Amino acid sequence: MSLATKGAEGTATWVDDRLASSGFVKRSLNKVFPDHWSFMLGEIALYSFVILLLTGTYLTLFYDGSSREVIYNGSYVPLRGIPMSSAYESTLRISFDVRGGLIMRQIHHWAALLFLAAIVVHLMRVFFTGAFRKPRELNWLIGVGLLVLGILEGFAGYSLPDDLLSGTGLRIAYSIALSIPVIGSWAAFLVFGGEFPGHAIIERLYPIHILLVPGVIIGLITFHMGLIWYQKHTQFAGPGRTETNVVGSRLYPAYAAKAGGFFFLVFGVMTALGGFAQINPIWLYGPYDPSKVSAGSQPDWYVGFLDGSTRLMPNWELRTLGHTFSFNVLFPTVILPGILFTALALYPFLEAKFTKDRAYHNLLDRPRDRPVRTGIGAAAISFYILLMIAGGNDIIATIFHLSINEITYTLRTGVLLVPPLVFVFARRACLSLQRADDDLLHHGIESGTIRRLPSGEFVEETVALPEQYAVLLTSLDTPARRALAAGGGHGDSDLATVRPREVQARPRGFFRPKGVQPSGAQHGSTVPELEGAQLENTVD
Amino acid sequence: MSDVSNGPSGNQESVRDRLKSPAGHGEQSGPGDSRGSDLSTSDFQQTDSRTDAAEAVGHGHGQLVEHGTTVLHPGKRVPLDDAAARAAERKVAGLFLLAVVGVVGFVVCFIAVPFDFGTDYSPAYTPLLGLFMTMALVGVGAGAVLWAKTLMVDEEMVQERHPFASEPETRGEAAAILAAGFQDTGLPRRSLLRNSLLLGAGSLAILPVPLLFGLGRFQHKEDALRTTSWKKGVRLVRSDGSPVKLGEVAVGGVETVFPDVPDGNKAADSASLLIRMRPDELVVRESRKDWSVDGHIVYSVVCTHLGCPVKLYEQQTHHLFCPCHQSTFDASREAKVLFGPAARNLPQLAISVDAQGYFIAQGDYSEPVGPSFWERKS
Repeated sequence: MSLATKGAEGTATWVDDRLASSGFVKRSLNKVFPDHWSFMLGEIALYSFVILLLTGTYLTLFYDGSSREVIYNGSYVPLRGIPMSSAYESTLRISFDVRGGLIMRQIHHWAALLFLAAIVVHLMRVFFTGAFRKPRELNWLIGVGLLVLGILEGFAGYSLPDDLLSGTGLRIAYSIALSIPVIGSWAAFLVFGGEFPGHAIIERLYPIHILLVPGVIIGLITFHMGLIWYQKHTQFAGPGRTETNVVGSRLYPAYAAKAGGFFFLVFGVMTALGGFAQINPIWLYGPYDPSKVSAGSQPDWYVGFLDGSTRLMPNWELRTLGHTFSFNVLFPTVILPGILFTALALYPFLEAKFTKDRAYHNLLDRPRDRPVRTGIGAAAISFYILLMIAGGNDIIATIFHLSINEITYTLRTGVLLVPPLVFVFARRACLSLQRADDDLLHHGIESGTIRRLPSGEFVEETVALPEQYAVLLTSLDTPARRALAAGGGHGDSDLATVRPREVQARPRGFFRPKGVQPSGAQHGSTVPELEGAQLENTVD
Repeated sequence: MSDVSNGPSGNQESVRDRLKSPAGHGEQSGPGDSRGSDLSTSDFQQTDSRTDAAEAVGHGHGQLVEHGTTVLHPGKRVPLDDAAARAAERKVAGLFLLAVVGVVGFVVCFIAVPFDFGTDYSPAYTPLLGLFMTMALVGVGAGAVLWAKTLMVDEEMVQERHPFASEPETRGEAAAILAAGFQDTGLPRRSLLRNSLLLGAGSLAILPVPLLFGLGRFQHKEDALRTTSWKKGVRLVRSDGSPVKLGEVAVGGVETVFPDVPDGNKAADSASLLIRMRPDELVVRESRKDWSVDGHIVYSVVCTHLGCPVKLYEQQTHHLFCPCHQSTFDASREAKVLFGPAARNLPQLAISVDAQGYFIAQGDYSEPVGPSFWERKS
């Protein structure tokens, strides 16, 4: 027995003598995790957060979160002698006078961008596959909370260097607070410690950025992961996979090795970005000066959609009863995100209400199998992308030599018209894909081989659908598919015998495809053909 | 190798059910087969002791097995033969050793590459650090993934889910304990206790409120928002403090100006833009005729939308453009809004010229500058 094995055994015994941990360890190491590439999106978000903690901690060793004015006398010659806040000066020091400081700053910034990007893509995966359904609504809510906190955290961090760009962002945030009815000026003054720019905002954002929000995020991530562990992961339909089991690999050793390796790969991508792709060169922007601004000012990407909605909003302002209602500010920056995030948080409950679907779901949906949900998601994404484009309307106008006014008018129309059209299109596309699946289930895959029957008739040979696909396709629970799957040797005739009451009992209507007819009826397939395709799939 | 089937134990086995059961691995278990007996014959059984017990119980009331883990089938990957395994091992080892190279390179570059910005600085410093850090991290990461994918066992396991909800009896017991404890506290019948507790604990919520108000001095909020540092007779100075004299700004030119008061160039609400155009280009209402001097006109630079400095001036069209949200104002017509989300004109500062020929303000702005706020009346 090698020394290492002996040591491990000794440690395990020592711990188990005190904690009786072997049962827990055994169960945990044997825990089964389903594999799918899309399940790694959440991992990327998690690993990005770990990288943010590591690099961020390093940055706090040098950063001075203070708006105290100092005269710059560091290595970066163009800014020497210029008065600036200590926050900006210390960020310059990290960039130019601390060995490895610049790469840490850049990794931190890139990790923040990718943290939120991974959250958003992970959210889309969860949305389009229906992973948020019972019993996982709680984890959906936590996820939405993490998204909102991530955006706040990112904005706070973006503001800390106190450069011209981030100061402009803070001024906009202050002005948004001013627009809130009744409490607006109070809120703005209290947060900023007086009229803008005040003398407190950097000092206040710093502990919020490095202590308060990350602390809450860590708590929520822990809860998020705990629920995934406890409720077990969802999985896609496949051979041997049911609503009541999990099929995959055990945590130990292969899964852990892959996940651990993936952490280092994600970290490696971040360091490559931090080393080679310059980001947020604050020394080019200069220290914040409320009377200055640079053209083409852009926020980090995750605030872009709010910038876009602000740019698109018409200049509606109501002055009445001795007060001012600034809809031009309030709607795009407060009301709209409020509606969007509330709708996002409530979506699982709304869908359950409209579909009357109260069942447990551990098998994931294919997006095409839920045309309305997929349509809603696609419409939301199109709306979001249009707002992001609007957030860069000045850049687009410059690059493509277009009129900024026309871009703005086009996008104003676009955000109202495009999402409904995308909804209709995506829903129709899903239904078409379902029909294509029906065809495959019915006929198998066309082989291109023509066979002549004794009667003289020519028929095309079909190849049975590989099992994993057949299982995936039959996972859609519509009357037509159930008839197809359960029909066995009866084929189309079985469709007629589906009891109407049973059909009615299934959630249908808006969220369920009404339009899909079994394609056998349309194509007039013969019974033996269907039977053959089905039976070949099920040879065991 | 014998195989463990996960066939459903229902009685009506449809095509759909058969589709869902594993195919191509030995015999299919028939309907109603005891899953437990299958497990016990498996060579790859990985159940823990609780499984068998849970299995026995589980069959009693048709519930799921908790924490049972069994091999479903050995996975799709063909195990490597010895030579291939050795080759794979060498690849993995190569990646792990790449990490060592990365770390050595990182340490060397960190110390040895010149870094003194302005005197002795290599622009490759940060990229080199990034390169070697990436090498180190990707070496470990890719090595681990490759190791798992080639040399570790490829298995596909099935594990039953435990039920999500508690048994009804357990629920009932928990609710009963909760109710009994609540009775014991006396809260249901002792109304004085209950109401005073609600009042006392509820009042704690007020404790932080004064602290919240301590965040900012807020005695003169309206004054702060309605006034700037401009006063009657105050000179218009540049950011370096030099006063602006009539004639110093060319036609078509602009100058950012601040009030000549202590820290006047730091007050965010006082920055203003002096624009000179031909007097005949200027279209202002009768009451503002004497607010400008010979085509020199001054507006607040603080955007009435969200406060960004509106300083991009287009000489030919007299358009003032805000780079934040593209509000556009016409400087030749009292800075009225032409385009964008801003709802109000930029406020105009009335100016004149003092005895020495320097521009001075006739007073503060006649309306609040900057973004709208709730208390603003018009």
